[in-house]
Amino acid sequence: MNKYGFLMIGSAVALAGMGLMANSINGKQVEREVLTTLPVVKADGVESRNDEWARYYPRQYDSWKQTKKNDKIKDMLEEKPQLAILWAGYGFAKDYNAPRGHFYALQSNINTLRTGAPVGPVDGPMPTACWTCKSPDVVRVMEEQGENEYFTGKWARLGEEIVNPIGCADCHDSSTGDLTLTRPYLERALEASGTNLDEITHQEMRSLVCAQCHSEYYFKNTEYTDKEGTEQVAKVVTFPWSEGLGAEDMERYYNNYGFKDWTHKISKAPMLKAQHPGYEIYKTGIHAQRGVSCADCHMPYKQEGSVKFSDHHIASPLENVENTCLTCHRETEEEFKQLVKTKLDRKEQLMEITMDNLAKAHLTAGKAWESGATEEQMAGVLESIRSGQWIWDYSIASHGSFFHAPEETLRLLGVANEKAQQARLELAGILATLGVTDYQIPDFSTKEKAQKLAGVNLEKLVDEKNEFRELLLKEWSEKAVEAGRLNPATREGMSDKTSYNQ
Amino acid sequence: MKTSCWIKYCSLTAFVAALAFFVYLVDASKALSYLSKDPLACINCHVMNPQYATWQHSSHKNVASCVDCHLPTDSMVDKYLAKARDGWNHSVAFTLNTYGQNIQISDDGAKRVQANCIACHAGLTETIRSNQDRYHDFSGAPAADRKCWECHREVPHGRVRSLSSTPDNLGVREL
Repeated sequence: MNKYGFLMIGSAVALAGMGLMANSINGKQVEREVLTTLPVVKADGVESRNDEWARYYPRQYDSWKQTKKNDKIKDMLEEKPQLAILWAGYGFAKDYNAPRGHFYALQSNINTLRTGAPVGPVDGPMPTACWTCKSPDVVRVMEEQGENEYFTGKWARLGEEIVNPIGCADCHDSSTGDLTLTRPYLERALEASGTNLDEITHQEMRSLVCAQCHSEYYFKNTEYTDKEGTEQVAKVVTFPWSEGLGAEDMERYYNNYGFKDWTHKISKAPMLKAQHPGYEIYKTGIHAQRGVSCADCHMPYKQEGSVKFSDHHIASPLENVENTCLTCHRETEEEFKQLVKTKLDRKEQLMEITMDNLAKAHLTAGKAWESGATEEQMAGVLESIRSGQWIWDYSIASHGSFFHAPEETLRLLGVANEKAQQARLELAGILATLGVTDYQIPDFSTKEKAQKLAGVNLEKLVDEKNEFRELLLKEWSEKAVEAGRLNPATREGMSDKTSYNQ
Repeated sequence: MKTSCWIKYCSLTAFVAALAFFVYLVDASKALSYLSKDPLACINCHVMNPQYATWQHSSHKNVASCVDCHLPTDSMVDKYLAKARDGWNHSVAFTLNTYGQNIQISDDGAKRVQANCIACHAGLTETIRSNQDRYHDFSGAPAADRKCWECHREVPHGRVRSLSSTPDNLGVREL
C-alpha cells in the first residue's frame, strides 16, 4: 500500500510537472515558427514586381535599388576592337558592353544591337531564351505558359511580358521567402552533373541562386507538343554540365553532339560562344574550396540602425572592402586593392596576346579561303581556332574570373594562346603551298576598322534599333503598364544609356 | 486486498505514463541534440537566432562553431560540466521567460570564450600575453582583465545584439 501509493503520487506529480514543461515547449515552438516565418508576398504564383516585395522587405529593396547607380556604359568593342573580329558573324560583333547593375539588366538586353530591331512578335533575330536571365517576369511566364512554351518563338513575342529587371522573385519564393531555384534548367544540370538536389545546403543555395544566370549555357532545340496538339521546337536554355564543369569537359560535351553556336564569317570555323561561366570558374577557385558562397562577398551582412540584413546592392566587393574581404582577412583595404589589381594586370596582358593571335588566325584563315584553300587543308586549322577561341572566351567571359580563379584563368588563356599560335603556324604553311608568301594582316586597331572587317554595318543597325525604341518598345511598355505588370514609378530616375547614343 | 491491487495497477500505469511522457518530452525538447557540437542545437531556442545569424555571416563560420568558443576544450569532463551548467541556466531562463531582449554573456561564459580565443589564436596572442607581465604596475587591477572582444567588437556576433536585430534571416530556418 505505502510503496505503491508513493509511486502513484510521485508519477502523478511528475506527469503534472512534465505537462507544464511540454506546454511551455510547445508554446516556444509556436513562437519560433512565428519568428522564422516570413511574410507571404503572394500566396499563389510568382510576384514579379520588385516594388511589391518592398512592402515587406524595405531594406532589402532599398539596397537592391542602389544597383541603379551602376549605369556606366563601357563599350568593350571600343576598348578591345579585336573582339569584333573574334565574333564576326555573331551578335556580339555588333555591340558588347561591360556589365552594369542588376537594375539595368533588362534595359541592356533591350537596347543592345544583338537583339535587333523587331517590328512585331514574330520578327527579329533572337529567340525568347534571351530574356531568361533578365527578369523575374521570366519565372512568372514560365509558370503561366509552361517552360517549353516560354522557350518557343521570337524574343519579341514576350516584349510586353518581360518588364521588371532582375529582382526578388528570381531568387526567392513568393510565398515563403526562401531561396529557391526558379530556373528548371539549373536543376536538370545539377542532376546531370551528379548532384542530389535534396542535399543542397543553405550555404550552397546562396551561390546556386546566382548560378541560375551566371553560368555557361546554350540553346538546345527541344521538340514538344503544345496544348493545342501542334508539334513545336523550343530553344531551351541548357547547361552543358553532364561531362563536368570544366572548360575542356564542356568542349567535349559540345563536340560529342556536333554543336556550334555559329559559323565564323571570316574563317568559316564552327564556333562556340562561352556565355559567362561565372559559377563554374568560381568553383575552381580557393574561395569555393573554403566554403565561401557568392553572397558572402557580393551581399555582405549589413547593419542599419539596430537591424542586420544581407545587402542586396550586388556589386564588386572592392566597393565595400571593409564588410566583405575584411570580414575574414586581416590585411588592409589598400593591400587588397593592390592584390586584385596585380591579378587583373596579369590577366589583361595574357588576354591581349591571346585575343590578337586568335583574331590574326581568323583573318589569315579568311585569306587562305580566298586563295583557294580546300576543306581538307583547313580542317585542322578550324578545329584549333574553334577550340582556342572557346577556351579563351570561357576564361574571360564571366565577371572577375581573374579573381575568382586566377590560376585557372591564366591556365586557360595559356592553352588558348597555344592553340591560336598552332593555327597560325599551320596557316602559314597552307598559304605557302598556295603561293601566298607576303600576306599582311589588316589593321583592326579600332572598332570601326574591326567591324568593317567583320562585315558589321553599325550605322544601319543603330538606325533600325532607334526606330524600334521609338515604336515597338514604347508599345510594350504601355501594354505592360495597362496590364498591371509594370509600375512606371519604378523607372523614375532611370538613365537610358547605350554605346551608340551617348 | 482488492483495494491494494487497484492502487498497485493505478500506480504502475501512472509510472509507465510518466515514463512515456518523459520520452516524449526528451524528443520535443530535442534534449539529446545538446550532447552534440552541431550549432543548430543552439537555435532550438529561438532567442539565439541573432547570434546564429551573425555567426553565419562572420569569419568564424567555417572554422569554429558554438562549442569551439563557448565551452572548455581542454577536457571532456569540463566540457560536459559546463554544458550542464549552461543547459540548466538557459533552460530555466527560457522556460520562465527571465531572459532580456539583449542577452549578455555571463562572467563564467566570458572566461571560457577568452581562454578559447587565446588557445586558437595562440600565435597571434603570444606577444600580448608575454607583455602582460611587463604592464603590471602594482597599483590596481591587472591589465590582463580585458577581453579580446573589447577591441574586436564585431567578432563574431557584431555590436548590435538583440532578439529583433536579425529579421528576415533565412539561415535560421534550416531546422
